[in-house]
Amino acid sequence: MKIKFLAIVTCFLAVFLFMGPGGKALAQKPIIIGAPLSTAFLYGWSAEKGMKLAIEEINSKGGVNVGGEKHPLKVEVIDTRDLEPGVPVSEALLAVEKLILDKKADFILGGPVRSEAALAAMPLLSKYKKVSILSTGVLTPAYHKTVAKEYDKYKYCFRIHGEAVNIVGEMFANFNELRTKYGFNNLFIIAQDVSHARGAAKVMKSVAEKQKWNVTGVEIYPTGASDFSMGLLKARRTKSEIINIWMDMPESAILLKQWYDMKLPALPFGSTLAAAEQPGFWKATDGKGEYTLANVINAGNAPSEATPWTMKFYNAYAKRWGVEPEGLGTSSSYMAVYVLRDAIERAGSLDSEKVVAELEKTDIMGVYGRLRFDPKSHQVIPAKDPKDGVVGSILQWQDGKRVVVYPKSIAKGTIMLPPWMKK
Amino acid sequence: MEIIIYGTINSVALALMALGFALVYGISRIPNFAHGALYVITGFITWIFLRALNLNYAFSIVLAIIIAGIIGAFIYQFILIRVRGMSISEIIASYAIGLAILEGFRWGGFKGMTYTLPVFIEGTFFIGDIPVDVHRTLVVIIGAGVVTFLWLFTRYTRLGLALRGMAQDERAALMLGIDSDRMAVVAMAIGSMLSGLAAIVLLPLGNIVVEKGYDVLIQAIAVCIVGGLGSWVGAVLAAFIIGFAQILTVVYLGAHFQMVVALLAIILTLILRPSGLFGRQKELEERV
Repeated sequence: MKIKFLAIVTCFLAVFLFMGPGGKALAQKPIIIGAPLSTAFLYGWSAEKGMKLAIEEINSKGGVNVGGEKHPLKVEVIDTRDLEPGVPVSEALLAVEKLILDKKADFILGGPVRSEAALAAMPLLSKYKKVSILSTGVLTPAYHKTVAKEYDKYKYCFRIHGEAVNIVGEMFANFNELRTKYGFNNLFIIAQDVSHARGAAKVMKSVAEKQKWNVTGVEIYPTGASDFSMGLLKARRTKSEIINIWMDMPESAILLKQWYDMKLPALPFGSTLAAAEQPGFWKATDGKGEYTLANVINAGNAPSEATPWTMKFYNAYAKRWGVEPEGLGTSSSYMAVYVLRDAIERAGSLDSEKVVAELEKTDIMGVYGRLRFDPKSHQVIPAKDPKDGVVGSILQWQDGKRVVVYPKSIAKGTIMLPPWMKK
Repeated sequence: MEIIIYGTINSVALALMALGFALVYGISRIPNFAHGALYVITGFITWIFLRALNLNYAFSIVLAIIIAGIIGAFIYQFILIRVRGMSISEIIASYAIGLAILEGFRWGGFKGMTYTLPVFIEGTFFIGDIPVDVHRTLVVIIGAGVVTFLWLFTRYTRLGLALRGMAQDERAALMLGIDSDRMAVVAMAIGSMLSGLAAIVLLPLGNIVVEKGYDVLIQAIAVCIVGGLGSWVGAVLAAFIIGFAQILTVVYLGAHFQMVVALLAIILTLILRPSGLFGRQKELEERV
């Protein structure tokens, strides 16, 4: 009798699971999201976690409605290793191709993460007509310029986070404020020997000179470099007041420790400064990273109230992964999934042409502001106010916390100087 | 002045990285390509003892170095002894072990910049107007101490003399009753402990990352090739040549050429003087 009762209950449960609103989606063929990511590095694992969180949230509500049928989302991640020193771009291309051919990915989200690899993957995405939304790492303006230049060929490529030119603008807004407030005029630039950072350093130097800054030096360090003493001493010798750092390698933490040990009277102001973006930075540097500024590219990667969704996402991420959103690629990868979901539902199909057309019409209030793509270049439209477009986020480490200091519309504090350079 | 100060620090750091590799090759003629992995493993073991198990820092260091030595001895006793004398197999086997250790750490989630060790003593002082932190000064002192210890050890202890005997002529040493396999185990253990010591001294200046294992291996090979494979005196001299060349490159050519120095040194040495500065045995062959 007892066994019979258990069998009936099991049958009912099975029927409920497969016929219920969530169950129906689970029974359907999943939509495969291919994610080529450099998973050993922040911009890779943060993107993976952001994406997975969004997928779990969407699937828990039944999945994606494709022409009246609900489909769950499924992510397939392949490690591209493209952020590692010495790993050739071809590794990332193989990963993208494997995701398309072997894993049968319907869409590509996330990376490749390194600019060189992402640019090289564009013809591949075009060849297979796979819609891709870059959501982490790639900052080179060449990406969206290439789309604009050869739209018909590269229309499948979108980017949902900020790019170098916009970031440079954000940096100078802060530099000029520091000049007004403290009389700073000497800028030293340190960059990693990779495409986006080299390009950004060049742009920074050019813009700085146009804006009458005295550029005291530009040092390019190879990926994996672990001693920055000579560069820092040069910054000291030239009486630099701001050190602008473009480095996504974890060794940038060493640079900041050396900066602290030398008590260098220059404010470290980084972009794609992966080490300083992460919540674990304070512990990793034993507090030596205090006063470091880092541009985390989009709001939501550090605590702020840019939109009603920002802290909702922030807290959900912290609850799911046991760590706060960690830096570039986190909020944008999360939003990439939602933006794709909306486009598929509006298109009512997984057809690339239809999804591209719908992605171009995207207009939603996301985690980091109003999300729209430029219809010609497929670059997400930036703004200083989240009501107008997506906003960036610059944080400063203050007393063990990541405090957002820019843009003003979402700032939680102001830039502070270390005690050894107070004027 | 800054070139002299930071050139010396950089050179001593390179010497510390390379001494273990030079010692193992000098005595047992085994190119230990797991050298970088032993460096990283010591760092992670210390981190686990210190941060995860909350053990005393000094105790964690001693324990980690001993473990590195034991791992090195095990690698020789259970793996390398089987391929000893077959140069290519020795390289493949030791490189495979190193690869397995390093990629094993990556697979186990040891990635990112959060794995760090504290410096021994905090603080910065000035030599003229050049800031130098206390830990970097300790690197130089410890490096000098290690070289002195090795010199005394190989001249005034029975074990050290036996190791030297092996390094000079293994067959003659065998005739005098020195067990060559046992000495090779000892050499591997000491070499691994030296690699571990380098990690303990140098890693507090940065962070423990898997990639460092590959970098340390390249630097150690460059130093040993320039100095002459097997000669630890040559290794020290080569470390100073490469160390100062790297700093001068940063100052006069640009930081992005820094990485090229070690690789260029390997190529130039192999073209101009394949035996390196102090590689005497090979030099005889070259003359013939």
